[in-house]
Amino acid sequence: MPPLIELIHIRREFDGGRIVALDDLSLEIERGNSLSIIGPSGSGKSTLLNLMCGLDRPSHGVVRFDGNDVRTRAGWAHIRARRVGIVFQSFCLISTLNARENVEVAMMGQIAGSANRRKRAMDLLERMGLANRIGLRPAELSGGERQRVAIARALANGPDVLVADEPTGSLDQKSSRAIMAILAELQQTIELTLVLVTHDQSVAACCRRQIELIDGRIVGDAIRQPGYKMPAREVTAPARLP
Amino acid sequence: MNPLTLPLRNLLGQPIRSALTILGIAVAIGGFIALKGLTLGVEDAFSQGLGEPGADLVVSQRGAFSLINSSVPDSLGPTISAVNGVDVVSGALLNITAADNNANIVIAAWPMNSTFWRGVPLTSGRIPSGDHVWETVLGESIANALNKHVGDEIELQYQPYRIVGIAAFATVLNQNMALVPLAGLQQLLAREGTVTLYQVGLKRPFNAERMAAIREAISQAMPDFLVTTTEEFTHDIRLFRIIQAFAWTVSVVVLVMALLAVANTLLMAVNERTHEFGILAAIGWTPARTLGLILLEGLVISALGGVFGIGLGIVIMKLVSMTHIASGLLEPHLTSALAVQALVSVFAIGPLGALYPAWRAIRLTPAEALRRL
Repeated sequence: MPPLIELIHIRREFDGGRIVALDDLSLEIERGNSLSIIGPSGSGKSTLLNLMCGLDRPSHGVVRFDGNDVRTRAGWAHIRARRVGIVFQSFCLISTLNARENVEVAMMGQIAGSANRRKRAMDLLERMGLANRIGLRPAELSGGERQRVAIARALANGPDVLVADEPTGSLDQKSSRAIMAILAELQQTIELTLVLVTHDQSVAACCRRQIELIDGRIVGDAIRQPGYKMPAREVTAPARLP
Repeated sequence: MNPLTLPLRNLLGQPIRSALTILGIAVAIGGFIALKGLTLGVEDAFSQGLGEPGADLVVSQRGAFSLINSSVPDSLGPTISAVNGVDVVSGALLNITAADNNANIVIAAWPMNSTFWRGVPLTSGRIPSGDHVWETVLGESIANALNKHVGDEIELQYQPYRIVGIAAFATVLNQNMALVPLAGLQQLLAREGTVTLYQVGLKRPFNAERMAAIREAISQAMPDFLVTTTEEFTHDIRLFRIIQAFAWTVSVVVLVMALLAVANTLLMAVNERTHEFGILAAIGWTPARTLGLILLEGLVISALGGVFGIGLGIVIMKLVSMTHIASGLLEPHLTSALAVQALVSVFAIGPLGALYPAWRAIRLTPAEALRRL
C-alpha cells in the first residue's frame, strides 16, 4: 500500500526563483500516523502543508496522494473535499454563514440533501461542544469556538487526513489545550492521519513523528515507538466523533 | 443551507451596493419593456383602429414610408368592389395633427357615401350630413380629454370643425380620432383625388383560404398597389420599422449598461472575497463550483432586477401613455413575447456580467487566495 501522501524532490520557488521556500524535499506520510512539522518562521512549514494538500503547486517535483500523481486543480479539489480536512490558524470561516452553515458548506456537492447535510453538521458541532452555538456567526464566537467549528468542518466529509496549520496559534492556553484534546481524541478514536504545522514544541511533542524544517530542508525526522498515540491532555475531550 | 444561501448572504452583506445594481438592471429592463411595448403599442393601435370599422384588407401604396405618406387614387373603389368576395370598400385619408393646437389627434376621412359611416358607434349627435364638409365626429376619449361636446368647435389642421357627434369606439386609436368627410380633408391637405388607403371588408363568412384568394384577386386587378391585412399593413410601414429598430438599439444599449453594472458589482465583490474563495477551494470546492456560485450571484441580481424592471416598464408605459402629447398614439402593449424577451435578456445579463469576475476568482491557486485577507 502506498503512503497516503508522498512528496518527491519538491522545490517551491517564489518571486521568479529569488526565494526558495522548499528545496529538494522528500517526505512520506503513512496512514494513521501523526506528524508534526516544526521550524522557525520562514522555514517553509506552511508551504509544505499547502503542497501536501494541493493548495499550492510545486515548482519542481511530484506530490502523490494515495499513490496518485495529482496535477489538476479540480483533482486536488475532489481529494480535499472527500479525503483531506484542513484547519487553519486564522480559522478561515466564512463570515456571512453561521456555525452550522460553515460546516454544511463543506458538504455541498458531497452529501446529497440539505436535510442530511444539516443533520451531520449539527451532530459534528454538538460533539465539538457547540450545540448551543450553531446559529452564531464567526464574529459572535470565541477563538476556541471558531477553531472547533473549523475542525467540525474539516471532518464533515469523513477525511483520511486532517492537516492543521498552527491550529492553536491564535488561541489562549486553555483553548489551545481544548483543541489539542480534540485532535488527540480524533487520532485515537477514528485513526485519522494527522499532520500538524506548529512552532510550539509542546504541541509538536504530541505527535508520533516530528520533522524539523530549516530554510526549506528537513533537518530532523524523529519517530517515537510504533503504535504511539497522541496523549489526551488534561482537558476533557468532547464526546466521541463518528 | 441550499445553493442559494451563499449568493443571497453575499448580496445581503452589501445591501446598498446590491440594491443599486438591482435598481440599475430594473431601469434597464424597464426601459427595454417601455420602449418595445410602446412602439409595438403604436403599431397595434393603428392595426386595430383600421380594422374596427369592418375592414379585413387594406390597399395602399407600395413601400410607403409612414402611415400618412401612402397615396392611392380615390378612383380605385369600383375596381376593388368588382372583385368577387368583396363586400364593402372605402377610401380613407389619414393624418396626424394637433387638435386646438393642443393634443395630438388622428384625423380619418371617409367619403360621405362610405358604408363605414353607418357603423360609427355614436353615443350622442349624428354623423356629418354631407352638406357641410367642416363637421366631425370625435372619439369619446379625445372629446373627454379636451372637454368637447356636440355643438362645440374644434380646430383640426388649422380649420375650425363643428362637432356633430361623439362616438364610443372599441379601439384606442379610434377613441382618440376625429372622423371627417373626405372632401374637406383632401382640400386641407392639398390631396384632391387621392386617399391614404382603401379599407376593404369581405363578405361573411370567409376563411383564411378565401381571404387569400380575394387578396390575390385584388392584387391582380391592381398590380401597382399593395394588398395586405391590417396587421401586415402597419407592420410593413417603414416608419414603424425604423421606430422598432431605434427601440431595439436603445434597448441593447441599456441592456449592455446593465450587464456592465452586474460585472462591476461582482468584480468588486470578488476582489473583496478572494480570501473566501480560497476557503471554499481549501474545503474542496472545485473551480467549476466556485464559478457556478458567482454566476448564480449574477443571475440572482439580474433576476431581481428583471422582476422589478418588468413592473417598472409597465408603470413607465402607463405614465407615458397618459401624457397629453402621447394620448391615443402611444399605448401600453405588453405581450408574452416581450416579457419572454425581457426575461431572456435578464438571464443572459447576469451570467455574462459575472463571467469575468468569476474567472478572476478562480484563476488564483487556493494558497494565493488564502493569503489575500
